[in-house]
Amino acid sequence: MAEKEKKFMEAVSKKFTEAPTEVSTSYYKFGGYKQSKSKVAFQDAAMKIAAERGFPMMNEDIGVPLGQRSWMPYQLSHTDIFVEPDDLHCINNPAIQQAWDDIRRTIIVGLDSPHNTIERRLGKEITPETINTYLETVNHTIPGGAVVQEHMAECNPALVYDSYVKVFSGDDEIIDEIDSRFVIDINKLFPEDHAEQLKKAIGSSLMQAVRVPTIVGRVMDGATTSRHAAMQISMAFISAYKLAAGEAAIADFAYAAKHQSITMGTMMPARRARGPNEPGGIPFGYMADIAQSDRAYPDDPGRAALEAVALGAIIYDQIYLGGYMSGGVGFTQYATAAYTDNILEDYVYYAIDQINTKYGGLCKLDPRDAEAVMNLAEDINGYALSSYEKYPAVMETHFGGSQRSTVAAASTGIAGSMATGIADVGVNCWYYSMLEHKERLGRLGFYGFDLQDQCGSANSFAYRSDEGLPMEARGPNYPNYAMNVGHMSGYTGIPKAAHVARGDAFTANPFIRVAFADPALQFDFANITKEIGRGGLREFVPAGERTAVIKG
Amino acid sequence: MSYKRQFYPGESDPAKARRRIMDPKVKLRKLRDVPMEDVVKLMGHRNPGEDYKSIHPPIEEGSEPDCPIRKLVTPIDGAKAGDRIRYIQFTDSVYFAPVSPYQRAWMYLSRHRGIDTGTLSGRQIIEVRERDLEKLAKEYIDNETFDSALTGIRGATVHGHACRLDENGLMFDAWQRYVWDDEKKEVVYVKDQVALPLDTKISVGKPADMADVKKRSTIFRVDGVDMRDDKEVTMYQHRIHLLRTLGGYQPFKFKGE
Repeated sequence: MAEKEKKFMEAVSKKFTEAPTEVSTSYYKFGGYKQSKSKVAFQDAAMKIAAERGFPMMNEDIGVPLGQRSWMPYQLSHTDIFVEPDDLHCINNPAIQQAWDDIRRTIIVGLDSPHNTIERRLGKEITPETINTYLETVNHTIPGGAVVQEHMAECNPALVYDSYVKVFSGDDEIIDEIDSRFVIDINKLFPEDHAEQLKKAIGSSLMQAVRVPTIVGRVMDGATTSRHAAMQISMAFISAYKLAAGEAAIADFAYAAKHQSITMGTMMPARRARGPNEPGGIPFGYMADIAQSDRAYPDDPGRAALEAVALGAIIYDQIYLGGYMSGGVGFTQYATAAYTDNILEDYVYYAIDQINTKYGGLCKLDPRDAEAVMNLAEDINGYALSSYEKYPAVMETHFGGSQRSTVAAASTGIAGSMATGIADVGVNCWYYSMLEHKERLGRLGFYGFDLQDQCGSANSFAYRSDEGLPMEARGPNYPNYAMNVGHMSGYTGIPKAAHVARGDAFTANPFIRVAFADPALQFDFANITKEIGRGGLREFVPAGERTAVIKG
Repeated sequence: MSYKRQFYPGESDPAKARRRIMDPKVKLRKLRDVPMEDVVKLMGHRNPGEDYKSIHPPIEEGSEPDCPIRKLVTPIDGAKAGDRIRYIQFTDSVYFAPVSPYQRAWMYLSRHRGIDTGTLSGRQIIEVRERDLEKLAKEYIDNETFDSALTGIRGATVHGHACRLDENGLMFDAWQRYVWDDEKKEVVYVKDQVALPLDTKISVGKPADMADVKKRSTIFRVDGVDMRDDKEVTMYQHRIHLLRTLGGYQPFKFKGE
């Protein structure tokens, strides 16, 4: 049987003039950094800045000569967008920044508790009309509008236009009564079977998806999201229901917003030196729910897993581990391998084909059958590793062993998840891949792989605190993953793959799943690589800009 | 019955090569003789003829604390003298370099005392007292584990192990520390391991024929020997993964294998 066309062919053919199977090439003759439009622009800008400020700035002629090889563009996977590596750095890419902004500035706050307070303690009636009035009011206060005092400073609407509150519920009757402009409509946004699952899981609770302004998160920190929401929600209740501002019962609103709410980042230990609601605290299952591909493309489980991988790469690997924990600029080159050039795509769709043809289809493999699981892992990992060996252009594209280790393990882990429907089997297959990779090639990734990936088989089914957790609940903060640079992308894809294969509407949290289905968000979480690509092409328009208050 | 030390399973060529380099009883073949002075220059830690720098007085001077472990361990020469710890780092191409980073670690640890190694995907650093390092560096530049085209001596900017080979079959090096001497058909270093220019070119000889390195490389590859075709290696890799999986954090509860 003829081999299928490889999904990475377009990307690698655009990178190199030689055939992708060719081992031999030429180096040192391409004009250095000047073959890159981006680098030339950087150099011009840096020289101008240096001249203006009177002392040196960046200079592409310092350090190792860049561009000794043919300069490689990168294709955002499952798109036709090609960008330069600089365009994928989180400091240069406004879409990557906005993805994190949109996650950080989201808090999900229940309305049931405040409604109880208003009805039972304050003796006021809650009706669809009062809820609509409240929602109109809170959409004034959350962006930064004042309602209680007559002489107040407010936020400039042009700076905070991205801020709003919408509601959702599993109870169609409640939602039917609410002004549709304020509703995240589960029935319209999700496939029918997913909508039913989500409504059942959410129940009759009426939930607010609160988006504080992007610029608030930028000026303060992740923990501010709940505080900003709590203050402005309380003000909206006071105004909408004509309550006494100083009454003790008002504290219940702030309490509910701060503590009976869901922020995206769970608390981290002091040793990480990070506050609440920061990216290191986001469990993989939450991140998988934020990724929305399976809502928009319900018949493509591969895309769902791969989009989750891309989101994990930009938030965890590039921003959190690359920025928050390491600092510096080096992580982009490593992390982008998981979502560029359709290489992981090729491996994952191969895995899905194998699962369908050899393993009975999605979720049909018995997770207790260790031999069968290892055979699957060997099949997928062998395909991934031999692809690097058969196609030197692919090997050179992932010229760091850590890139190859992550991508091979991600495809193997996703395969384990999809074949069994169990994310923990997926992560066990990840570790199978790591051991086989090291044994086969005599190399793996950076030093950290010795620590994390060679012992991981032992923790893949551990549920006890500090030894393990179900994969959905693990995150960058899980002890053994605290230094797992570049791994977070694959780890996000693994639980996503399991639940997509099962036909589940969500991975870990139905509320988060619905909140990020909202089309009013700045970043489209159903088309993550496309958004990153638009960021690279300078087409993405982020929120949080300050031009409205800058002269000129 | 006394225990006979084992090194690696399998009957394939890479498996045999792994056993061979790890076994300290096997004398590795010497393929070239790079003068010690040139080895010193390549590493760039000191000038040839210059005294070794010390970080502590010689042990014989008796300044060591009373420590039972120190009494048990015979110090290597550099430790006795108080030398600095310095390094050499080799980069090994994926295209059938004679050895790859993990096998370097196993080989060094099996054959030498007083060393520290660190393994990454493309490179393998070995750190040891300076006078011991020089002997060790010469040994591993001269012997069969080094190929002038597929092995690089690189302190920084080490990537290139996974890049395609240039028109002369040389592994990519962004600093071009070594170049092809077309007249002599051999590889010469023009920069030391951190890319400082050398006063004189240093020859590391002719590259081996690809068929030869393919036969003796420790690397399993689909275009050489696929690891899956070595049933014993695959069996042990499965076994390691399975036992770790089943044992978890409570291996004492796991009965059977």
